Amino acid sequence: MTASLPPSGAPLSHYVSTAPFDPYSVEAMTAGQAKIFQASQLRLMWWKFKKHRIALASGIFLLALYLMIVVAEFLAPYNLHTRNMDFIHAPPQRVRLFHEGQLVGPFVYGRTMTLDMDTLRRVYADDKSDVQRLRFFCSGDPYKFWGIWEASTHLVCPAKDGEFFALGTDRLGRDVLSRIIYGARISLTIGLIGIAVSFTLGIVIGGFAGYHGGVIDLVVQRIIEVLQSIPSIPLWMALAAIMPVSWSPILVYLGITVILGLLDWTGLARAVRSKLLALREEDYVLAAQLMGARSSRIIGRHLVPGFMSHLIASATITIPGMILGETALSFLGLGLRPPITSWGILLTEARSVSVIAFYPWLLYPMIPVILVILAFNFLGDGLRDAADPYK
Amino acid sequence: MITRRTVLGMLAATCLSPPLARAALALEEPEFLKEKLGDGALPPMAERLPKVPRVVNLAAMDRKPGQYGGSARMIIGSQKDIRLMTINGYARLVGFDEHLALQPDILESFDQIENRAYTFRLREGHRWSDGHPFTVDDFAYYWEDVLNNKEMRPRGLPLDLLSEGKPPRFEVIDPLTVRYTWDVPNPDFLLRLASPQPLTLALPAHYMKQFHPKYADPETLKKLIEDSGSDDWTGLHIDMSRTYRPENPELPTLDPWRNLTKPPAEQFIFERNPFYHRVDETGQQLPYIDRIFLNVSAPGIIPAKAGAGETDLQAGGLDFADYTFLKDAEDRYPIRVSLWERTQGSRVALLPNLNCGDKAWRDLFRDVRFRRALSMAIDREEINKASFFGLARESADTILPQSPLFKEEYQHAWAQFDPDLADKLLDEVGLKERRSDGLRLLPDGRPASMIIESAGESTLETDVLELVTDHWRQVGLALSVRTSQRDVFRSRALGGEIMLSVQQGIDNGIPTPDMSPSALAPTGDEQLQWPVWGLHYLSAEQKGEAPELPEAKRLVELMRQWKRSSSTAERETIWTEMLTIYTQQVFSIGIVNGTLQPVVSNRKIRNVPENGLYGFDPTAFMGVYLPDTFWYDGSA
Repeated sequence: MTASLPPSGAPLSHYVSTAPFDPYSVEAMTAGQAKIFQASQLRLMWWKFKKHRIALASGIFLLALYLMIVVAEFLAPYNLHTRNMDFIHAPPQRVRLFHEGQLVGPFVYGRTMTLDMDTLRRVYADDKSDVQRLRFFCSGDPYKFWGIWEASTHLVCPAKDGEFFALGTDRLGRDVLSRIIYGARISLTIGLIGIAVSFTLGIVIGGFAGYHGGVIDLVVQRIIEVLQSIPSIPLWMALAAIMPVSWSPILVYLGITVILGLLDWTGLARAVRSKLLALREEDYVLAAQLMGARSSRIIGRHLVPGFMSHLIASATITIPGMILGETALSFLGLGLRPPITSWGILLTEARSVSVIAFYPWLLYPMIPVILVILAFNFLGDGLRDAADPYK
Repeated sequence: MITRRTVLGMLAATCLSPPLARAALALEEPEFLKEKLGDGALPPMAERLPKVPRVVNLAAMDRKPGQYGGSARMIIGSQKDIRLMTINGYARLVGFDEHLALQPDILESFDQIENRAYTFRLREGHRWSDGHPFTVDDFAYYWEDVLNNKEMRPRGLPLDLLSEGKPPRFEVIDPLTVRYTWDVPNPDFLLRLASPQPLTLALPAHYMKQFHPKYADPETLKKLIEDSGSDDWTGLHIDMSRTYRPENPELPTLDPWRNLTKPPAEQFIFERNPFYHRVDETGQQLPYIDRIFLNVSAPGIIPAKAGAGETDLQAGGLDFADYTFLKDAEDRYPIRVSLWERTQGSRVALLPNLNCGDKAWRDLFRDVRFRRALSMAIDREEINKASFFGLARESADTILPQSPLFKEEYQHAWAQFDPDLADKLLDEVGLKERRSDGLRLLPDGRPASMIIESAGESTLETDVLELVTDHWRQVGLALSVRTSQRDVFRSRALGGEIMLSVQQGIDNGIPTPDMSPSALAPTGDEQLQWPVWGLHYLSAEQKGEAPELPEAKRLVELMRQWKRSSSTAERETIWTEMLTIYTQQVFSIGIVNGTLQPVVSNRKIRNVPENGLYGFDPTAFMGVYLPDTFWYDGSA
């Protein structure tokens, strides 16, 4: 028996077949099957996500909105602060195609305003003889694109010397549609910046608590409990009141996002912690530890990516909370201040009783708020389902 | 007397035909008091009224005598606003009538010598609301035991009672007459008695003595102090004797209605004072309306509530912008909306703080060319069009044409829209350098960017500021708005932390020469254009700093002259010079005045004027229009 063994140190003699070998020969798969079974995690998630029709639609809607705010100046027919003193509280104008049975392309009728001195209302009437064709890719209010380039091109403008207020005007004759578009810039980004803050805090704090356990975990858990037990609106109000009044509106905007983020990380930290508590017992963690990796590397490189998809899904669901938070704060007069314009600011300016009675179009900023919140919720829902594609 | 009452009562009971019943009703007791009269808790009307009541001749005011009954609801924005009842009730020792002439009201007569010696004659038989006689003892008590009590007033008499720092002599001439005599004139004295927040001269001594150690049993008083949670007797005495904010339901009053509700409460009920001293020409005791309910509500929803018919008499909390809504609600609810004219010098005024802590800005604000430039850069017509339907008067912060002192030049002083001249003036004051975006630079290189403080109470202010921001940007000045609480305004302004603030203009826009011109001179620390100088005057030169601008100094000097003056002609000259200085120097930047104030009243209420002047001082909101003469027309 010993004679067949090679001498000590020499390789063991063995035989390798050079014949082609298909490991799946026992259980042969079609090309289609192979595509599914060998697909990457990301691909699987995408497939799963695609099946969630509403989530997909929401995703596309949100993507479009975010693209829109990049070119807000171009899309808005007027500038944010353009006033038109002759058209105060003008109701929305209807875009028409046919004038006296003839197709003239998109146009609006010109309007005449009369002052009703008895009720002190401005009464607007369509002037059917004044056809004002809308212009596209036209030159309108000059603006500084992204604050850098001078430009004046707009997607759509009113006819020369005409007006086009698709969603009406407010009490200083400012176009509501343009203000909603500009307001989106603030309202939509505030959620993203806020979530970035809360994401970082949540992962770092939750990660350490979950990974190390023990005293750190105990302390973090208690802090989270305390933070979560404080009613959020009064806490926002307190924090917003701390912000120095001399700050410029831009700094206030950043301050508000940080406040929103600072208060929102707790849920995320909890999720991260519970995941880590389970994952840190895995063999690959032990292997990394044996190789001398530090805990930040283990958490960052090995553990978090394991449930990143999950985190993204849950983050998506918290964005609407942030947007609502900003809206609520601004509505209470504690958040952003004019001239910064967000949807919350627009709604604040529309909270008098006359608005509801006579100028309901000033409440239109509510619609994008509702749509965006819904879209984020559906998207988050779809992402969460997709994050676990094997289910 | 009793026989006549009984006969009348029988008449009213037996005569069922309406015209006769109404004729009888003219001398009838209010239904509301019948029960108390029946069981003898109240004496009949003739005994409740003073011997010589104040007769309000309604026919002479183009109004009609009315009938008793009904209760009126009003909405107030906070509990503090129960003071509205004192303001609107407008029972004063002397008070203004509709034409702003002084009339004796609680007093039967008054007379004065050279504005130094004032003799007041009380009405014989006048009683507090609890039936106790109102006499010179009440004046004597307040003078000796409150005003001149060292514990009560460690710092001496209130400023209004001092003339050149000297207190008056107080004399009781006879049981119905008192006299206050100064060595030098105190022309402000009667006006302070007639003002919406009047100077107190008398308290119900019979009631207040229980809180005063001089009269009260020490043990009982000690217990009262402990029960009330006050620190000492002075605190208790002050709490129990508040007349401006009638928070103590037990405190007897001379007002038309007396409070029945102890705060805190959501609703305050005021009930007719059965011993009130005014009657109409038919001899009926006023007020006509039995009860007033004050409902506390969030200020923001007062217009909505008024438009839903939840108030019977309302002006506070309503703004011109709500008019359209209220007018529309006329069709749905039994309300009537009228428009009165506001009396402020400017509905919205911008006040550059001449005591600003930042040296560069302070120097600019003190430069009249800068203030004029700020004023002329504002397009008042646009603001008028946008916020007031063009119905307001574009004007500097000054008096209204209704005032006998009005001159057109005050209204137009530096109030024209002239951005070119503004630009030129700004260049002259050392703001020639500009940044690439056109913003001017201060001499020290900082951008010329100002912060204006607003209490953020009304969208009107926000709108006006938005427009002004744009107008000023055109001449290269940036403005940003900071919202802060009105309560901390004064201390921050005194500390120099405020650059500019936005407020209403001078309060009394319809003065006569006999009214005090104090709003035009640095006389108070609530004047945010010169709080430190104002404090100097207010504290009798103990605190703050003396004015440094020659014009401001001159204003203080003129103010002192007015205080010493003893003839109307002399005062008119002083007023004219002060108005000229104030408007020429643009110490506050007015925008529009004479704006309209919606007044909502129940359609059944009679005698509410269709047009009136609305303001705190001197008309005491509705006070000079005598709300005690408003009545419910049951047949309407």
